[in-house]
Amino acid sequence: MKRGSVRLREFSLPPLFEFQTSGGLRVAVARRTGIPLATVRLCTWAGSATDPPRKRGLADFTAGLLRRGTRRMRAEQIDDAIEFWGGNLGTAASTDYAALQVSGPVEHLPKLLEVVGQLVLEPAFPPREVRAAKARLAAQIANDLDDPAQVAGRAIERALWGDDHPYGHTVDGSIPDVEAFTRGDAVGFHQARFGPRASVLVVVGGVLERSVRAAVEASLGRWKNASVEGPPRLPARRSPALERVALLIHKPRQTQTQVRLGALAFAKGDPESFAAEVLETILGGVFTSRLMQAIRVDRGLSYGASSSFDSYLAGGSLVISTFTKTESTREIIEVALDQVAKLRDGGPTAEELSAAKTYLAGLFPLRLETNDSLAAAISELKLYGLPTDWVTQYRQKIGAVASEQIVEVAQKYLIPERFTYALVGDAPSLLRQLRGLVPTRVRPLSDLR
Amino acid sequence: MFLRSAAASSSTIPKKFFEVHESRLPNGLQIRLLPDDAAPIASLYTFFKVGSRNEQPGITGISHLFEHMMFNGAKKYGPKEFDRVLESRGGRSNAYTSTDLTVYHEDFAAEALEQVLDLESDRMKSLTISQEILDSEREVVKEERRLRVENEIVGLLDEELATLVWKAHPYRWPVIGWMGDIENISKEDCERFFRAYYAPDNATLYVAGDFEVETVQRLVGHYYGDIRPGFARAKVLNSEPEQRGERIAAVRYPAQAPSLMIGYRAPAANHPDALTLDLLQYVLSVGEGSRLKRELVYRQSVAVSVSMDWVWRIDPGVLMFYLELEPGADPERVQRALYRELEKIASRGISELERARALHNLRANQLRELATFGGRAHAYGNYEIFLGSWRDGLSLSRRYQAIGKEQVRTAAEQYFAPERRSVVTLEPLAARSR
Repeated sequence: MKRGSVRLREFSLPPLFEFQTSGGLRVAVARRTGIPLATVRLCTWAGSATDPPRKRGLADFTAGLLRRGTRRMRAEQIDDAIEFWGGNLGTAASTDYAALQVSGPVEHLPKLLEVVGQLVLEPAFPPREVRAAKARLAAQIANDLDDPAQVAGRAIERALWGDDHPYGHTVDGSIPDVEAFTRGDAVGFHQARFGPRASVLVVVGGVLERSVRAAVEASLGRWKNASVEGPPRLPARRSPALERVALLIHKPRQTQTQVRLGALAFAKGDPESFAAEVLETILGGVFTSRLMQAIRVDRGLSYGASSSFDSYLAGGSLVISTFTKTESTREIIEVALDQVAKLRDGGPTAEELSAAKTYLAGLFPLRLETNDSLAAAISELKLYGLPTDWVTQYRQKIGAVASEQIVEVAQKYLIPERFTYALVGDAPSLLRQLRGLVPTRVRPLSDLR
Repeated sequence: MFLRSAAASSSTIPKKFFEVHESRLPNGLQIRLLPDDAAPIASLYTFFKVGSRNEQPGITGISHLFEHMMFNGAKKYGPKEFDRVLESRGGRSNAYTSTDLTVYHEDFAAEALEQVLDLESDRMKSLTISQEILDSEREVVKEERRLRVENEIVGLLDEELATLVWKAHPYRWPVIGWMGDIENISKEDCERFFRAYYAPDNATLYVAGDFEVETVQRLVGHYYGDIRPGFARAKVLNSEPEQRGERIAAVRYPAQAPSLMIGYRAPAANHPDALTLDLLQYVLSVGEGSRLKRELVYRQSVAVSVSMDWVWRIDPGVLMFYLELEPGADPERVQRALYRELEKIASRGISELERARALHNLRANQLRELATFGGRAHAYGNYEIFLGSWRDGLSLSRRYQAIGKEQVRTAAEQYFAPERRSVVTLEPLAARSR
């Protein structure tokens, strides 16, 4: 059997039709037949990064309330309108933007679009729903604090960016802030952040452009809140005064430590992205990555170890995630950082580079296999203003990444001495282990409420 | 307003999903090929009919630990080679073990298909089990158990609930196994296990994606044809005694809020009531407008979240509810509210609107599952194991439609009887700050 490099079969995206509504909403339609379902996704620059001070979680809270009643429909009527035909609706914020997504039978697309239009244009924020949503959200955060991995996620955001940076908290916010939310907060946030010029709409499915155009115009054409322009202006970096310490969250009775090691990196759209993706694959993106081999395969220290570059409008990060039994926490940190340093100093081998590129290129069509995933990819391109060839020419761009580019990115971001640590586990034992490795600040779980 | 659509209406399953090429090698290996050139990729799913129900006390968790061992080297592709070769050719792999099955799957660039068959057949034919790798992999599995069970509330409750629901059947122990048993599994146990269960006559291959049928048929014969059938496999006994009353347990653990896991003894997948329970599950818990979410979360605000878990199993299974509560909430109040809703369905049944809504959602979710190559290969495998054939899977929608409201009510009355119930409550221990 032949071995060696693979020539990949051609792969193309469905044709994309684009237009604007009379109110200025940018719309992209990808016509894809196959299964008789369609996806509609509306993204608006209203992510958790735009949460006002001391109102952490307001973006997600507001997005969630959009479906809890409009001027013409109660929450239960909205659920029924979408779900009766087998549709599902999601309204949530992420770091940079809020997304409202509905998927359902393609023949009901106009109805689905009509509901989307009502949610965005006429949310009623009924007082009873606001009260109930506050209680639910606060209780959900409390429940999530019982999950060590989620706690670690909250801790590393804070440790990396600092409390005051818009990226320094998780999307769901914090219990004290949520408990102080008022109806006016949500109404005000919606007015200030949701507008057609700060949004994009993507439709994917077996649809015809002119029919979609008519249906979109009917449901969203009158959306004209011209005062809202996106994207928001955000500070690029945390204040340089922030000291580098390990943030150790004490969670009683843990027999395993959740470990996150992170550093700040580049913003969305950076030309380094493609080289960084290859680098991330080699470091901790796949089973044969250096972290997985050193931590799991060679030492049996963990079930999993991964690394990921995440990039946003105003910045980004590289985070390594793993976990191990309490006793081997120091060892796993040292092994992980040793791999980071080795990759920075020695760069990838020719074999690693070729394997990572073939892996990313070969599996790329899988990332766009469903209507939902294609809608997500297109909406990000359009929202961030990235060239369409970031998707259509992805395989070529990955194929063109040279070893020197990887080394350059590695030398910029793989610097163990600059890494921030977040650990969740049994503090007394961990403090003993970390002595001499990094200054450590122990905080109770309640600090992350 | 009517939208002109370029696709078929959602009431039909696309025709291409019925194109399945079935064959069987002389050694017993079953093959199902599902060609589709929608994207230049493919997925291979290998179903072995073995899971934790085939284990015995003392070596619980062996089917899962063994799943890990399958990635650690065989005759042609030695240790560390499987994933190295696969990933470098544009593929990825994973596997899972359940109570009933072990499933290995690869997604890959269409060009890598022969390579994937070579890799996958090599380990079925000639897996190497070394003591050193077993010991290392055992540590990995112990970390997985710490992750999913010992430091995770849902895992703790789930493990407790299974021991309440089952007294005799192997469903009683967790798929990952008890910590002591994971420590105890020997190289010889693994070798016996491999010879019995990892045999062509206990496996079915599903390939979905962009390929030529004849080529793949030839390649499968070439790579798998010389693998010998397995040793005799022990029959799984179902000696589970009848449950004669509600069973209750508590888990005390540091937590912010109480939660509940509640199970009702339910039938096997091939029982006529199983599909009725699918429909009932959709009425109760699928979608924000489903009964339990609407009542318990939105109208009464007694739970933060509610989910229902009902999966097909070879032997009689369980209908499970998991409810997250507010800090300080009274779990008994939530239980009363849940039981009231279940009793309402048992006495008054469901509305025609609810039935239609459940049918539409069952259909749409099946289409979502079949939309990807991996989803399709996986779904067809499950259809064959649990329903008897993939054709039965594709006709599910018609069978669901034949279920009347009275049938749903009767099923609710029978299966939600209090004497079939087991309840595990998480009682939070207040965290002492240091």
